Amino acid sequence: MSSIITLTLPGEIMFARLASQTASSLADLVIGENREESAKRKFCHAFELAVSEAVTNSVTHAEEFDAPQMLTVTFEFEPRQLTVSVRDANPPFSIDKSAPDIESYPVHGFGLKIIREIMDQFTYRRDGDANIITMSKSL
Amino acid sequence: MNITETSNGAIAIVAIEGRLDALSAPELRNNRSVIDPEKTVVLNLEKLDFMNSTGLGAIVGALNQKLQPDFGIVLSCMNDDVRSVFEITNVQKLFHIFDDTAAAVEFATTRQGAHT
Amino acid sequence: MNNSNITLTLPAERLFARVARQTASSVADLVIGDDRHEPAGRDFSHAFELAVSEAFTNSVTHARESATPQVVKLTFFFEQRQLVVSVHDANDPFTIETPVPDIESYPENGFGLLIIRKVMDHVTYRREGNYNIISMSKTL
Repeated sequence: MSSIITLTLPGEIMFARLASQTASSLADLVIGENREESAKRKFCHAFELAVSEAVTNSVTHAEEFDAPQMLTVTFEFEPRQLTVSVRDANPPFSIDKSAPDIESYPVHGFGLKIIREIMDQFTYRRDGDANIITMSKSL
Repeated sequence: MNITETSNGAIAIVAIEGRLDALSAPELRNNRSVIDPEKTVVLNLEKLDFMNSTGLGAIVGALNQKLQPDFGIVLSCMNDDVRSVFEITNVQKLFHIFDDTAAAVEFATTRQGAHT
Repeated sequence: MNNSNITLTLPAERLFARVARQTASSVADLVIGDDRHEPAGRDFSHAFELAVSEAFTNSVTHARESATPQVVKLTFFFEQRQLVVSVHDANDPFTIETPVPDIESYPENGFGLLIIRKVMDHVTYRREGNYNIISMSKTL
């Protein structure tokens, strides 16, 4: 059986932090007591960071529009993995961008690279007027 | 996020505490020592709990302000979570990173001395 | 954070009380901003977190057995220096005018509403259709 947790937020920068903190407390809950402290910490940090990256991307683009919009972050807690999806109403985009070249001292563009590195699954789809990013991490 | 600043000779030691993300990054970007091209800054990350790629971008942006990309910003005392963000993105290649602030300050002072 | 609604929907299980509490604490921290390092800011945040924790626990305790999993919905709203949280559930109707438990009888429960009333500035209850809605606010 799986449990669903839903968080809806205004598409504004300040709320990205809220989503990542909720993600961290959920990760801490599902990882359970039977793990080594360092493994628990690593899992929780990875999950929190991935949510922070996805939601920050989403609110950054949302803020480029005049009309306020809401974001929906859905967590699904399954026996073997924790999944999160981020849904927004921004224009479509691609997650298949290459990572920025370090030698050019880039200040943007690391988010997708980080997500791909720390999560086990990472997909994007367009659903009508919505973007949906889905990320999973195995327990 | 909280920023506290002390100095050691010509070196500014800027300590960042809390969370460095999209909400708090502007405060680092606008810090007076960070934006001064000639000021050598040791960023003490000992009390930085969490940093995402926006925060990382702000630290690279701070380095971009400096006349001396080799030692304009020197990093010290990051925790494993923060270190992982530097490693995943390979940004650690751009910085000298120390496990203690005194060593970072000593390095920065020596390099700065060699340039003046 | 102005006129903005944040909602968090959680399964009505005790396990998730911690998530409700931590989200409440994060919302309070956003609202108080830089004051969260000051004692007054910390007190505000703790009080708010505690009230949400008590209300969520009450909802879960009274959640009915049902084929469809029950949920508790928390809605946060900030306006005119007031942080408001509403807790929605589909439990049986109840009253928040319960008497304070008599300490002399060493009671083990019944403190939740007492604590909420103590730490929040306003507490109201209403029934909407099949839902209970407790609304609690605290002024910054």
